[in-house]
Amino acid sequence: MSGRAKRAGFYFLTLVIVFFSLLPFLWFLDTSLKTQREVTATPPELFPSGSLHSYQSAIEQYNLLHYVKNSIIVAGATTLITLIISVFAGYALARLRIKYKGVIMGSLLLVSMFPQISIAGPVWKILQSFGWLNTYQGLILPYVTLTLPLGVWILTSFFKELPEELEKAARVDGCSHFQALFKIIVPLAAPGVFTAAILIFIYAWNEFFFALLIMTQQKYQTLPVGIALFQGQYTMPWGEIAAASTVATVPLVLLVFLFQKRIIRGLSAGAVKG
Amino acid sequence: MFALSLIAPCFLFILTFAFYPIAYSFFLSLHRIIISLPGLEQPFIWFGNYKELFHDKIALQSLVNTFLFVFTTTFFELLFGLAIALAINKHFRGRGIVRAAVLIPWAIPTVVASQMWRFIFNDTYGLLNYAFFGSDTALYQAWLADPLFAFLAIVAADVWKTSSFAALIILAGLQTIPDELYDAAKIDGATAWQRFVKITLPLVKPALLIALLFRTMDAFRVFDLVFVMTQGGPADSTNVLQFYGYKKIFAEGLMGYGSTISVLVFFVTLLISLLYLKMIGTRLFGERS
Amino acid sequence: MQKRYFFPKSQRFPYGALARSLVLLGLILSLLFPAGCTREKKSDTTTVRFVTWKPNQPAVWDEIVELFEKEHPDITIEREVGPHSSTAFHDLLTQKLKNKSPDVDVFFMDVIWPPEFAAAGWAMPLNELFSAEEQEQFLHGPVIANIYKDKIYGVPLFIDSGMLFYRKDLLDRYGFNPPKTWDEMVKQAGTIVAGESKKGADIYGFSGQFKQYEGLVCNMLEYILSNNGHILNPDTGNPEIAGDPAVRAMQFVRDNIVGGIATGGVLTYEEPESIAPFIEGKVVFHRNWPYAWEVSNNPERSKIAGKVAITQLPHFSGGKSYATLGGWQLGISNYSRNKDAAWKFVQFLTSERIQKLLALNAGLAPTRKALYGDAEILGRYPQFSEMKDVFLTAYPRPRSPLYPAISNTLQRFFSKIITDPHSDIAREAKAASREIEKILALTR
Repeated sequence: MSGRAKRAGFYFLTLVIVFFSLLPFLWFLDTSLKTQREVTATPPELFPSGSLHSYQSAIEQYNLLHYVKNSIIVAGATTLITLIISVFAGYALARLRIKYKGVIMGSLLLVSMFPQISIAGPVWKILQSFGWLNTYQGLILPYVTLTLPLGVWILTSFFKELPEELEKAARVDGCSHFQALFKIIVPLAAPGVFTAAILIFIYAWNEFFFALLIMTQQKYQTLPVGIALFQGQYTMPWGEIAAASTVATVPLVLLVFLFQKRIIRGLSAGAVKG
Repeated sequence: MFALSLIAPCFLFILTFAFYPIAYSFFLSLHRIIISLPGLEQPFIWFGNYKELFHDKIALQSLVNTFLFVFTTTFFELLFGLAIALAINKHFRGRGIVRAAVLIPWAIPTVVASQMWRFIFNDTYGLLNYAFFGSDTALYQAWLADPLFAFLAIVAADVWKTSSFAALIILAGLQTIPDELYDAAKIDGATAWQRFVKITLPLVKPALLIALLFRTMDAFRVFDLVFVMTQGGPADSTNVLQFYGYKKIFAEGLMGYGSTISVLVFFVTLLISLLYLKMIGTRLFGERS
Repeated sequence: MQKRYFFPKSQRFPYGALARSLVLLGLILSLLFPAGCTREKKSDTTTVRFVTWKPNQPAVWDEIVELFEKEHPDITIEREVGPHSSTAFHDLLTQKLKNKSPDVDVFFMDVIWPPEFAAAGWAMPLNELFSAEEQEQFLHGPVIANIYKDKIYGVPLFIDSGMLFYRKDLLDRYGFNPPKTWDEMVKQAGTIVAGESKKGADIYGFSGQFKQYEGLVCNMLEYILSNNGHILNPDTGNPEIAGDPAVRAMQFVRDNIVGGIATGGVLTYEEPESIAPFIEGKVVFHRNWPYAWEVSNNPERSKIAGKVAITQLPHFSGGKSYATLGGWQLGISNYSRNKDAAWKFVQFLTSERIQKLLALNAGLAPTRKALYGDAEILGRYPQFSEMKDVFLTAYPRPRSPLYPAISNTLQRFFSKIITDPHSDIAREAKAASREIEKILALTR
């Protein structure tokens, strides 16, 4: 095989991969720009006439912006809280002497793995007893728990990367552990912190199961719940579903295009290390 | 002490919202609790619920479905993941954009992905029918109406959504392989296939195992896809454990019986993950390497 | 050494951007907790919170609420709109009630829920407010559906029942009268589809609701009951789906409806999906609730406006036509703090004048008997006089506080036997009966 043919084959394969990765998303984007008639045409019409009707209707009839607001609040707060707690824990696990480090890391991993159903009933009961169903904190607290393993693992591995000497020097200069952490470690590990933030945010933005259980009031529902429960009486409002889906996805697409390197590094830091 | 106080908040959360609930699930599963019949109170019935679970054919079927789902999705995800990773590991112009494009399915909310695929599989407006049959609408199939195809549909949606995750982890493994090894092999006259089998595969094995672990555990809790695309039907062909447990506890109000499913699911996943961790070894925890 | 592959050294980090986004998060966070726990405002108006679903004709509902607020200046109505799917709405509402949430005052109940809501203590008994004489004014079926252990828990607002919609133009073209039996319907559909297909039309015989969900139970019930079968024996209360008439009816559905004249996608259809091919003109017969009349005759949405007619559902020879009773009731939460205001609202909504408004402007069939003699309604909807006969035969689904569990068992069973053409109906029916007996044993 000549080098040129090989190259062409490679580009073709890559193109196929990219095409199939994007196809469903592009199809929904396309659908969201169709008029009502085009959406339900059989056979499907490939090209939309660029109508914004679906977006308007999703906002006016289905309270789309409400869901967006709730998602921002929940995902934002989760990210912030998880990050703060993970910085402490990650620092301790990376730098300080703790017994049973392996067990701690292992049990964190375990938390990130078991199916939500094994804790759903009790979590629901706990929140009920506090009267926290249908409140933001009622969803944020479980989310923080579920994203902590991710945050701690990523930050631990990033903190370990940093040279210990800097910190020792700071300690010699009379900094406490605490000061060393915030003056030296965190700024240096900022890329890691930022990576963790992106991943946590994506997780909280996308989570559906707990949101479905805890947020039963439309006022507090997040985007995934809203999109899953979209239904009209006489037809499926596919145009509106596509519009809402696009709105839910675009921030993520932007994050991915802007920060793909960091995301890749963060995901692999959690996984392949050792 | 200082170290402990640093990890205390983390563990406070884990204890209250993860470990305590698991124990509480076990406690609930020993009672008969029916939310819509508070008059029954909550009698302690030992392992009565477990006995019932043992004879529950639908639970068995959803267990089988879940395992089938886990096996088929992880198999294809690792396969495609490896292919994608090999493709984007090369240096070429536009690699960043390709990587980002591949990441998009992973970043999209599962609910959104489910709606997308539900629409693609739709029997009248679906893109799949259009791709296969063009404008000959008489041939259009209702994919989600057939037990086998409905199951394959959720498999396809999951493979699409998460192959890129597997690819990323495998990619990280690929990047630890020094180029010199390949160069040396080339000089020795090894073919591309030999290089792949003798160098790439063995060295990327740990990454493959980890990808397998993560994907298995994640596939085990499949819920969003089923909730949006099929609601467990037709004929329970897509009913999976997490969905069945959700229905029992939250739709039928059988909190006690549903909790036995929670406990079952927990132990099954615990077993599998311990098995994997043993296979992968303690290197994961970065202590003794 | 190898770590370099993971973490290339050089990177410029957007500190400014991070700081800004953190500040933003902080702002959001500080806004958040006050928002989560707002205290009740003290003012001179009472707020009644009404949990409802997304209506088909929102304008009518807006008008009604406005009217109420104008007549009761001391009460404001706050609506919370849930999903229209009955199952999803049930999950949402019951979770609120399990939570004993005081932010629900008045809510909609599907016709199958009152026993569950009563047994759980969620719905308030209305006997003192909703007197026996007043109950007399309503259709019998819906009133019975609201009674559990001698107390009444809801006021029926409108009634639904299964009915057969058909393409009058097509039946006329082939010289058919509306079918009386299921067999007749299948034969007519066969002839029409064959004839129209020759002309190149893309058309099917039938669409209904056969996805694994509550609607499947409603559909199947109509076949089983119209063959003199039962789900639960009306005298003993024991399951009877394994009985011979029931099994034969199910066999018919599998062979001649799902495996015969129905559209291929019928196993994935809830109401919205099933009506779509009908209003596209691709289906001859369509089973649905009364609202489908409005939809299929609305020229903006339907290609067959003016070509639709309705009739009672067919039956098997030797059986009688049966329609599943549907419809929505209004209940008041036991945890409501504004029960008086809530009752005023319920009374208002179910009054003759508002039911008439709903009938005229939203096509909802009234539960008050008197309205079936109302000239204005009958002038606008002549089919209502026919509907009344359907409604008088409408049959409730099994009444039990554990109905959701029974229904889930039935859904699984029905879905299995109609999806898999090789399954043994009688054997599966016996297995399902045992399941149901187990559930019933819990309440005895």
